Amino acid sequence: MAETKIAVYRFMSAGCNGCDVQILECLVPRYKLGELGIEVVFTPEEANVLAVTGSLNIKGAEELKKAYEKLKPPRIVVAIGNCATTRGIFSEGYPIVGPPDRLIPVSLYIPGCPPRPQAIVSAIAKVLGAHLDEEEDYWKAPEGFRGRHEFDVEKCMACGACAQVCSSDAIEVSDSDGKRLIRINYARCTFCGFCQDECPTQAIRLTREYHLSTDDKETAYVTNEVEMLRCHICGSYYVPSEQIKWAIGRIMDKVAAYRDLRKRLEDAMQICPTCRRKIGNIENAKRLLANLTIKTRKS
Amino acid sequence: MPRIVCIGPYKPQLLEPERFQLFVENDKIIDVNIELGYVHRGVEDLFTKRTYMQNLALAERICGICSGVHTLCYAQTAESIMDVEVPDRARYLRCIYMELERLHSHFLWFGVLAHTLHEHKVFLKVMTERERIQALLEYLTGNRIHYLINTVGGVRRDITPKKAERIRDVLKDMKDLSNYLLMLLNNDGVFVEKTEGVGVLSRSIALDVGAVGPTLRGSGVKSDIRRDDSYAAYGEIDFEITTEDEGDVLARTRVRARETLESIRIIEQSLQNLPEGEISVKPGEPLEKEEIGRAEAPRGELIYYIRSNGTNIPERVKIRTPSFANVFALTEMLRGDNIQNARLIIESIDPCFACTDRITIIDRNTGRRQIWG
Repeated sequence: MAETKIAVYRFMSAGCNGCDVQILECLVPRYKLGELGIEVVFTPEEANVLAVTGSLNIKGAEELKKAYEKLKPPRIVVAIGNCATTRGIFSEGYPIVGPPDRLIPVSLYIPGCPPRPQAIVSAIAKVLGAHLDEEEDYWKAPEGFRGRHEFDVEKCMACGACAQVCSSDAIEVSDSDGKRLIRINYARCTFCGFCQDECPTQAIRLTREYHLSTDDKETAYVTNEVEMLRCHICGSYYVPSEQIKWAIGRIMDKVAAYRDLRKRLEDAMQICPTCRRKIGNIENAKRLLANLTIKTRKS
Repeated sequence: MPRIVCIGPYKPQLLEPERFQLFVENDKIIDVNIELGYVHRGVEDLFTKRTYMQNLALAERICGICSGVHTLCYAQTAESIMDVEVPDRARYLRCIYMELERLHSHFLWFGVLAHTLHEHKVFLKVMTERERIQALLEYLTGNRIHYLINTVGGVRRDITPKKAERIRDVLKDMKDLSNYLLMLLNNDGVFVEKTEGVGVLSRSIALDVGAVGPTLRGSGVKSDIRRDDSYAAYGEIDFEITTEDEGDVLARTRVRARETLESIRIIEQSLQNLPEGEISVKPGEPLEKEEIGRAEAPRGELIYYIRSNGTNIPERVKIRTPSFANVFALTEMLRGDNIQNARLIIESIDPCFACTDRITIIDRNTGRRQIWG
C-alpha cells in the first residue's frame, strides 16, 4: 500500500468521453489502482487530484475554475488525452476556450487519443515513484497499434504530404536556413494514421510506443530535418533536395521517352519557380520544352 | 410551490456533465428541465472546414463510445455522394466491427447500471470482461476507442484467419457474460426489484416523442434500422429484433441484454460467410448533391445529412444522434415518477451527451432558428 492517498475527481468538458471510458477502465482490478493508493471520488471537495478531459468549452470553463478552487491541497491537475493537452481536433471549434491549462495550472499531461489505461496508470505511478510490474502481456501494445510516430530519416524527403492529409493539423512544415523542418505534435494528433498511409516513401510509421506522459507539452514533438536545394539563379532555398531526386526518378520511371534527357531535367529543376518564370530563362525553357516535345512525338 | 432539485452538471456519477432541473412536489417529479451544452464543441461547423477523408477522424470523435458507427454512417452517406459501391467483404467486415462496438457499449452501460444500483461485484465483473472486447478491438484496428476502421469506400483493415480465431475466442466468454446478465434480470434480485415499473414509457408516447433504439424497443415497438433500412451486410444475416412490452427500466435493460446475444450471433455468421475479395475501393469525385444516411447505433437510429457542392469539402453536415431523439422521451419518463429514481431513469436511455449537445442560433432580425450540433 502506498503512503500517499490520492483521491481523483474527474472533470470533463467538450470531449468525446473516450478518455473518460479509459479512466473508468483503469478501475478494473488488473491495474491495481487500490494498491497504489488511488481512489476515484465523485465530489471535488474530497479530491486532491483533478483529472481533466476534453477541450473545455465556454460553459465548462466556469465550472472547472470552481472545481479547482474546491480541491484539497496539493491540488494537482492532470490533463488526460489530447483535447485536454492541446484541444486536439476541436481546436477551431467556436465554443472552445481551452485547453484547461489556460485557466488552471496543469502539472502532468498524458497525451493519447485516447491514452491507453496502461498509459494513465503508468504515468500516475511514475509521479508517485511507485514501481509497476509491466511484464504482463497486456502492457504491450498489440501489433498494428497506432502510437507515437517515428520518422525513417533515410526515406523522408520532407515533401509535406503528411501535413496535407493530417486530420487535426498536428503536422507543421517550416523552412529556415536552408533546412525544412517537419514537426509532428503528437499531443495534438488523432492517431488516425492518414500520414502513414499517404507518405509516398513510407517514411512515417506509427509505432507501438504509448507511454507519452510529460510535464512539458512543448516537448511532445517528433521532428525531422531535411536539407533544401538552393536555386541556381537567385540562390534562395526552395525545395528539399531529396524531393527533386524523387520527382525525377518518378518521371524517368513513368515516361520512357524522357530517359535520355535526365541531365537537362535535373538542370531545369534546380531553378526555383520564380526564376523559371523570369524573362531571362525563357530561352532555356523553350529549348528544353522543344526537346521534350520532339522526343514525345518520336515515341 | 414545487421544490427544485438539480442533478449535475458535475455532481453525480454520470459519465458526462449535463444539468437536470427537476421540479418536485411530494417526492413526485412534476416537470423537468434539461440544460444542454457542457460538451458542445461545434462539430457540425468543424465538418465544413475539412476534406471528406479528414472528416472521418472528426466524425469518430463526436462520441467516445459509439465512435465506430459515426464513421460508418458518415462514410455511407459520403459514399452515396461519391457514387461508390463498397466491396462485399468490406460490408461483412463492417458488420463485425460494428457489432463488437455494440457489445462493448451495452456492457459498459450495464456496468454503469450496476454501479448505480451499488452492485459493486457485478460492476467489476462486467468492466473486467468488457475490457477484453476493448483489447480485442485494439488488436483488430490499432486503437481502443477511435478505431477509424471505416473509410469512404470500405474498411481499412482486414480480418485474417488468426484474428478471426481470437474474435471467436473472446465471443465465447461474452456469451457467458450475456447469459449471466440475463439471469440477473430474470431472477428476483436487486436488478429486478429496483427497476421494475420505474420510468414507464408507453408505446404510444414513445412513438409520439420519436424515441429510437433500445428505448423504443423496450416499449414494444419493433424498429431497428439494421432491418428497416438495412445497410452493410445486415440484409443477408439472420438476426432477431428484441422487444419488450413493459416500457420500464427493466424492459430497456432486458432489450439490451438480449441484443448482446444477437450481436454475437451476427458476428459469428459474418465470420462464417465472409466473402473473399477487396476490402476497399478508391472513391471518386464528390458529386454536387445532397444525401441522407442512416445506421443503427447502440443507442438507436443515427442520421447523417451531407450537402456537397462538388468540392472535396462538404458544404453542410447535419447529424441527428440517437440520444438527442431520446432526450424528449426522457422528459416523459421522469414526469410522475419518484425523485429517488431520477438517476436510474436518466441512465436507462443510455444517454450520450457528447452526441446530444446543440446550439440554437436565432437571427435577431428574422427570428429564424438554426440548430447546429
